[in-house]
Amino acid sequence: MRYIRLHKIFIAQYLKKLMEYKADFLLGAIGLLLTQVFQLAFLGIIFSQIPALIGWSFQEILFIYGFSLIAKTLDHLFTDNLWMVGYRIIRKGEFDKYLTRPINTLYHVIAENFCVDALGEMLTCILLLAYSIPSLDMPFHWYTIPLWIVVAVFATLIYTSLKIMTAAISFWTKASGHITHMLYMTNDFSKYPVSIYNKFVQTVITYVIPFAFTAYFPASYFLTGNNPWFCIGGTVIAGTVLFALALFIWHKGLSAYESAGS
Amino acid sequence: MSRIKRFFRTYKPFTRAGVQEMVAYRANFICFFIGEIMSAFIMYFVWKAVFLSSGSKTFMGFTMEDMVVYLFISFLTDYLTYSDGAFAVGEEIVEGSIAMRMIRPCSFEMSFLFQEIGNRLISAAMIFAPMVVGVEIYRYAIAGVVRFHPGYFLIYIASMLIAYMISFYFNVCYGFMAFFFKNLWGTSLIKETLVSFLSGGMIPLAFLPSGLAAVLNFLPFASLRYTPIMIYMGMYSPSEIAWRMGLQVFWLVVMFALSKLIWHSAVKHLSVQGG
Repeated sequence: MRYIRLHKIFIAQYLKKLMEYKADFLLGAIGLLLTQVFQLAFLGIIFSQIPALIGWSFQEILFIYGFSLIAKTLDHLFTDNLWMVGYRIIRKGEFDKYLTRPINTLYHVIAENFCVDALGEMLTCILLLAYSIPSLDMPFHWYTIPLWIVVAVFATLIYTSLKIMTAAISFWTKASGHITHMLYMTNDFSKYPVSIYNKFVQTVITYVIPFAFTAYFPASYFLTGNNPWFCIGGTVIAGTVLFALALFIWHKGLSAYESAGS
Repeated sequence: MSRIKRFFRTYKPFTRAGVQEMVAYRANFICFFIGEIMSAFIMYFVWKAVFLSSGSKTFMGFTMEDMVVYLFISFLTDYLTYSDGAFAVGEEIVEGSIAMRMIRPCSFEMSFLFQEIGNRLISAAMIFAPMVVGVEIYRYAIAGVVRFHPGYFLIYIASMLIAYMISFYFNVCYGFMAFFFKNLWGTSLIKETLVSFLSGGMIPLAFLPSGLAAVLNFLPFASLRYTPIMIYMGMYSPSEIAWRMGLQVFWLVVMFALSKLIWHSAVKHLSVQGG
């Protein structure tokens, strides 16, 4: 409860800062929106020449693409500050600040920033889903909406956990932003059906860096109703396991941490 | 002659600093490179699926082989012509450390340029040969004949160097703009996305509606990336190469003049507080 109250204060604090820098927020959001618009133009050009991409229609591809943005956006919105741990916070000795506060360090790092730029991606995500869903004949049951929420939570955990783990590396090495970047970039693979990739890539994005569970697998379940246990169960398991591992590495890292400050 | 000698003697230390910086941070560079090149591989798989689904050997005039060469050479060209040395201009103005640069007996943007050249030398040494060889091995495996053309390759390098200089002066201009907008992350994201699309980074300009493609072919962005790639691929006839490279030089002159203009008007208004 205490943490929920604190989070409200952090966000309120952040919104005040935001009001002062309205242009910053607007430009960041426009940039993210633009990135998505060009990606969609690319898909549009492809589908102007072919009726379906290995069995998936334009609408279905747009749905998978839009779905992939749910977890990405949520993670971006709430935990963007984790990037700074690997890029700057530890190297500049700023991490000491978090150690002196009477709240959980990981929570504090994450809550400190609230990245509203992500609303640009969120807008694309909502537009894509709103555009594609009506024209798709998707199975709908009473449990569909609760399942969406479960998937959104655990898929976001996959993103966040990978960021926590790679950020924690900097407790030992002082900087790890480039490692976070390298792993994070694999999320782009999840925007398309995994069947377009070769066996090696499929194995990696399913079992090693399981970004396929943030988008394609759950999205294909919602599209077809097939393989619920693998598609939804896999997302829950991957999210849980990675998060547990991330917490473990973070705490290991904390005990190994030596300040870089002077 | 002695002036040229002095010029290079003045700026050699900057290049050396750039080299040392890159060597020190090579692990970072390699990680970043792996992260970035994954997007080229994703595109490779997407195009493979497209060709599989279309059942046709060509997509708007490009074969799968052309597409692969386009993707990877485009990636390479973008990586080598990318310039952010002058990005620091804005930051230095805000911090006031620009005063230090201005009192030195050397040109402001040349010191950035030569430092970045040092940087680029090392990154090029690490990725240029492996990527070109990789692409050519792929081409050979697909076509069964050596497609590598030394003549086009040399012109490609020349065209890429001009592209780099355009990119450099374009980013000097942008560095000043970013200073006025104050948002570095947002404006760079917008700039990079726009430049990437307009220079054919996501889709070959030939795939766009013909009216739009004609306009984009003339704009400076095509000179940044599309022109060198098309030369590498042997898509242009000799007369077309001459005209495209002429256009590149034209845009280089424009960007150079523009950066000088902005610099001179900025210096007039510049006031650095404290020290």
